[in-house]
Amino acid sequence: MTDSIGLTRMPIDLGHFAEAVTNRTERLFRHAEKQKIFGWFCTYTPIELIHAAGFLPVRIYGGMIRVEQAGSLVPNFVCPYMRTSLERALRGEYKYLSGVIQGYTCDVPCGMMNIWEENTGLGLFHTVPLPYNADESARAYYRHTLNELIDKLAGAGGRIGSTSLGRSLDLYAEIRSNLLRLHELRFRNIFVPSASDFYIILEAGFSLPPEEYLKHLTNLTGAIETKTATQENGIPVLVSGSLVEQLWIFDLLEAAGGRVVADDLCNGYRFCEPADGSGTDPIDRLIDRYIHRFPCPARSTIEDRVPRVRELVERSGAKGVIFLFQKFCTPHLADYPALAGELKNDGVPVLQVEMDESGNIEGQLKTRFEAFFEMIRG
Amino acid sequence: MENTRKSTKRLATARELQQIVAGFYLECHEAKRTGKPVGWMPPMNGLIEIFYAMDLQPAFPENWSPVCAAFGLTDKNYQAAESMGFSPDLCGYLRNCVGYINGMMGTEEVPLGGLPEPDMIFMPGGGCVPTMKNFQYIARRFPGAKVFKADLPQVPIENIQRYHIDYALNEINRIVAFLTEVTGRKLDHDRLREVVRLSDQACALWDEITAYRRYIPTPISAAEVGLMFVMVTRQGTQLAVDYLARVRDEVRERAEKGTGIIAEEKVRLFWDNIPLWYNLGLFNYFEKYGGVVVAETYSAAWSIRLDVDKPFEALAMKSLMSYPMVSCVSMKRRKEMVLRACRDYHIDGVILHSNKSCLPITLGQMDIKRALQEEIGVPSVVIEADHMDPANFSMAQFEARADAFMEMLLERKGRSR
Repeated sequence: MTDSIGLTRMPIDLGHFAEAVTNRTERLFRHAEKQKIFGWFCTYTPIELIHAAGFLPVRIYGGMIRVEQAGSLVPNFVCPYMRTSLERALRGEYKYLSGVIQGYTCDVPCGMMNIWEENTGLGLFHTVPLPYNADESARAYYRHTLNELIDKLAGAGGRIGSTSLGRSLDLYAEIRSNLLRLHELRFRNIFVPSASDFYIILEAGFSLPPEEYLKHLTNLTGAIETKTATQENGIPVLVSGSLVEQLWIFDLLEAAGGRVVADDLCNGYRFCEPADGSGTDPIDRLIDRYIHRFPCPARSTIEDRVPRVRELVERSGAKGVIFLFQKFCTPHLADYPALAGELKNDGVPVLQVEMDESGNIEGQLKTRFEAFFEMIRG
Repeated sequence: MENTRKSTKRLATARELQQIVAGFYLECHEAKRTGKPVGWMPPMNGLIEIFYAMDLQPAFPENWSPVCAAFGLTDKNYQAAESMGFSPDLCGYLRNCVGYINGMMGTEEVPLGGLPEPDMIFMPGGGCVPTMKNFQYIARRFPGAKVFKADLPQVPIENIQRYHIDYALNEINRIVAFLTEVTGRKLDHDRLREVVRLSDQACALWDEITAYRRYIPTPISAAEVGLMFVMVTRQGTQLAVDYLARVRDEVRERAEKGTGIIAEEKVRLFWDNIPLWYNLGLFNYFEKYGGVVVAETYSAAWSIRLDVDKPFEALAMKSLMSYPMVSCVSMKRRKEMVLRACRDYHIDGVILHSNKSCLPITLGQMDIKRALQEEIGVPSVVIEADHMDPANFSMAQFEARADAFMEMLLERKGRSR
């Protein structure tokens, strides 16, 4: 299959994934009749515990929506994701949630938890106060925070035993392994979907029951494994930022002559890496995974991030890095000068783009993407 | 219309502050010259007391930013930061500090000699993200300094449990071990107890001073907010206690004599969020309407008493409570605090500073606004500004809103100008 600009594209059946994304709200309202659903904002949320308690964890989606009611509760210098997701909550789109559980990372979701609690009427709101360090005392402290979450989940009617937690850990480890496999196959030009298709596959997993998602994912990876590498057109790039929910930006990027081969995104690689942790009991294993997870600027140092992003650039063969930031995203904007500086020192060209909630940046973006790729081509 | 203006201070003791500020920076440079180790650290935690107890020199890059704002240095620092790639949407403290350390630091144009180079850096994992990032950039800028990566749970005050305190205690013990290793100095526990006693005494005086805001007319206003410099930089010292005792005496005397801030106090106001450091004169703006800004949110951060019998635990609690008290971490507690202040200080109206440089304090303000109206019937107005960057503040827009608000409040009180 060849698209309008001549890129070779792999025909893949996205049916289940696309449907899960498109019909998310209706499906989750139906689902809530048989099982409690808890929302989460950030990939530091220990979703395995929510699942082990017998609930369905679902990432809260923001997307494109005109902000009206939320504008009267939060200022306009909050990132679009946080404003649009609050808007949806105020419009009643998240009434299927029994609460929101969050890992303390960025200041904004922390403050937004209080605003959601005050204004949405949903049940349980709990923020896990994550440790910043990774030594033994931090791990012991982490265990306490997770035990507190277990108590909260029990208060909401959940029951967690070490067997159920072990099963949930296995399930999510398998999901993450499959997703990492897709990333790896993308690095090697074996799996070459359009970027928007790739992130639809990931997005589906944030709201489908994990058991169902894993089945679709296993079928997909099984079909791809048999293929061989192809010669792809388009400048290979890594995209870095928090969330990119406006998938049309990827289409624009690729239409301008680029090809997304890797990412450093919350709704991408950062959710997946590593697939699992190890430990003497399930809680240890969970802690180990989250302590070693691919770093986010809100919870790590610049020095932790630079080698990890650099490694992704090398493994994926990216010829440039495009920083796709949510406007006003402090953690990413703050890391940018150092991270971009290090990449430039490596000879990797970078481009910074900020996404606002209006989406009225198409014309400007197209020109900037084209100029960037032109510059790389030399 | 000028975006920047100094405040008019009415307390004689507030006018002493200039010497205290200069004295602090002089002491920092003297420490550097004589080989006393200097540590850069975030404010609002128990580090300062440990430093004073071990006879080490603390320095506060975040506190240096308001000093830069007062001296008009911020533009150059912002330019330096922007040339490095820092977005103007980032917090002004962060931009000012990274611009300063990578720009004018060490040059002759810096007043008070600026901050001396750090021997140690305390890179926090608690507090806000801009503070975390600020210290990460500081560590990059001074690779020769010893870095301590400090952890601190971010928990609403009402949810603090034993395990949070134990973890904070563990961090304090790690810090003491780090300081001993780096400086060769040992912590004398009796000396720490004495420093914590002085620190608690300063808090008690602080509470005593702020309590005089109940008086009508108020003997002290938010225009004197600079007093908190001693709480940020000198908590745990005799100097802070002596100075605050003098402030307390002056405030008490004014209260007893019925001496107000202006001739006729008609409207009592409360300021939520950080003041505009480049325009503290804003606090005096309301005076033409007979308005006085009686109190402000920020001072609550220093209203935390310390248990002198348990100095380590006291510092752990102070570290856990200070930031949540004034930010969105502890929204319930903060809302209660604002409502209580409005009741206690007989407030007629509240100014909510929607602060582009500080989302943690700005988030939740609309819920506070609603509670003010619904629970205690106090009207409020939102002012869009920035505590560090005058580019995000329009005096004309401020005047339009403030004028309309004051006229409404005066009308409510059944008086006319």
